[in-house]
Amino acid sequence: MDKRSTFHWVILVFSSLVLLFILAPLIGMALDTSPTEFFQTVRDEEVQDSVWLTLSVAFMATLIFSIMAIPFAWLMARYDFHGKRIVQGLIDLPVVLPHSAAGIALLGFISREGLLGKAADAIGLNLVGNPLGIAMAMAFVSLSFLINAARDGFAAVPERLEKAAMNLGASPLRMFFTVSLPLTWRNIASGFIMMFARGMSEFGAIVIIAYHPMTAPVLIYERFNQFGISYARPASLFFILVALVIFIIIRIFSNKANRRLTRVNLNSR
Amino acid sequence: MLELRNISKKYGDFSLKDINLSISPGEYFILLGRSGAGKSILLELIAGLRSPDTGTIYLNGRDITGEKIQRRKTGMVFQDYAIFPHLTVFDNIAYPLRIKHMHRDKISEEVNKMAENVNILHLLNRKTDDLSGGEKQRVAVARTLVTSPDIVLLDEPMASIDAPMKDDVRQLLRKINGMGITMLHVTHDYSEAVRLAHKVGVIHNGRILQTGDPESVFSRPMNRFVARFAGIRNYYSVKVYKEAGKMFAESEYNKYILPEGNYSDSGLLILKSDTINLSLKEQTNHDNCIRGKITEINRAESGYEMFVDSGDTFHVMVSKKDLEKLSLKAGLSVFLSFSSDALRVI
Repeated sequence: MDKRSTFHWVILVFSSLVLLFILAPLIGMALDTSPTEFFQTVRDEEVQDSVWLTLSVAFMATLIFSIMAIPFAWLMARYDFHGKRIVQGLIDLPVVLPHSAAGIALLGFISREGLLGKAADAIGLNLVGNPLGIAMAMAFVSLSFLINAARDGFAAVPERLEKAAMNLGASPLRMFFTVSLPLTWRNIASGFIMMFARGMSEFGAIVIIAYHPMTAPVLIYERFNQFGISYARPASLFFILVALVIFIIIRIFSNKANRRLTRVNLNSR
Repeated sequence: MLELRNISKKYGDFSLKDINLSISPGEYFILLGRSGAGKSILLELIAGLRSPDTGTIYLNGRDITGEKIQRRKTGMVFQDYAIFPHLTVFDNIAYPLRIKHMHRDKISEEVNKMAENVNILHLLNRKTDDLSGGEKQRVAVARTLVTSPDIVLLDEPMASIDAPMKDDVRQLLRKINGMGITMLHVTHDYSEAVRLAHKVGVIHNGRILQTGDPESVFSRPMNRFVARFAGIRNYYSVKVYKEAGKMFAESEYNKYILPEGNYSDSGLLILKSDTINLSLKEQTNHDNCIRGKITEINRAESGYEMFVDSGDTFHVMVSKKDLEKLSLKAGLSVFLSFSSDALRVI
């Protein structure tokens, strides 16, 4: 790109506009919030509780569902079977569903009349209005991100490495944990972050499953509804900042883990 | 001892058909075939990475056809070595030993011993991504050998090795075989078979066409395909007949005197390039002498290769010295003489 052609200038302008579109509302929100308002909100226990609830439930949902989702992703990467495209379609389905509709569907499933709800009720558990219900709503709308990222990762691991491991005496389970999983770490970590992020920002499905206990997105919505934008704004800013800090921390950790575990370039092989 | 009996396997459009093969203990067996001939699939069947549709595989008298991969005692060295990229050289070699829950000190001892055996002791603490192809191969070989396999399966071990390093690899393979380990090595390269094998087999379109010691397979190939694999470049369709007590083979263009023997009426006449003597004058010291014109001269690995047209096209090898002495060039008329003993009809 020695000479800047008109084409390059156009691209540059477009890119700047897109970035500005993302940044402007966030910066605007930060500028419109007075420090006093902000610190008041941070000290507000209701806000603290909702942020903590959102983060912890989203994290646990991601962690627990990944135990089942990651082997599933491996299956999707390694095996061709009849109806695989349909299964893949099912995995992607929650992403394209309107989230409020997903919430309604899930509510039918976990309410006392629903299949899972009945089972939970038998042990005295009401999933509706419970962090467990929230976790399910979060997982329902975000699981595809983890499965797809992990599947792409497993698909990029040459199958020969797995065959070699078994030829060297490894059981399929050992092969999975010593070869497939470490080599997919990068993709799984980013899928994990995506799922976590998507889960904690979820509003539509959660508001139907559980208005209380209140997650941060629901709390923001409620403050907006009852008191208007100036009350919703500091809570939003706080939630965004917390989320940002957490993602930066996770990135740093997962990058470190990557460097340790897979100092490889899968493309070079 | 490895024995394959009536192994068949259908795989997409391709199938292995009725494979019978027997490899004695300590033998170095090379299976020659073009890519797509079914060599790699055959290795995977033996290793248990795929299962055959029919047939039985015996290893040291044990039927391993339905045996788990992990218990077969077949050591596979993959074409691209399949080194674990997230592990160091040491951890790669230690991988199978850790599965056996061996004590740490014992693992370290075994790994060091094997690394020394294949000359990679200095690489043990290295990551594998910056190793050369040859070094990776040694790691893969060491990693396989620590499992004390009953047979080592080598998939195109020379394919990704730079030409100057091939000697080292051959030396390594001979050394391993010298330790008494049975080897099955598949390749498309005839010269590897010549240099390494005790016994060779030729596989084509999923069938094993011929097996035997290299000398007999390469000097008596049973058909045109095997002949090509034996590096034979001169073969012509001929009719065979007897005239005045002598056997003759006649192609569309030339008549050749054959050695005594029994022949079928027609066949493929084969002649090795290095048995042809090239001269400017007609020669009488060989019973076959054919006149032709040089059409092409190319530099070859040693000396020059030349194509001579006499109706039948001959591939001839000459030394640089002869090329200069006889001032050979394209368009020149020359005589090709060879003994009838050099001819074979298949």
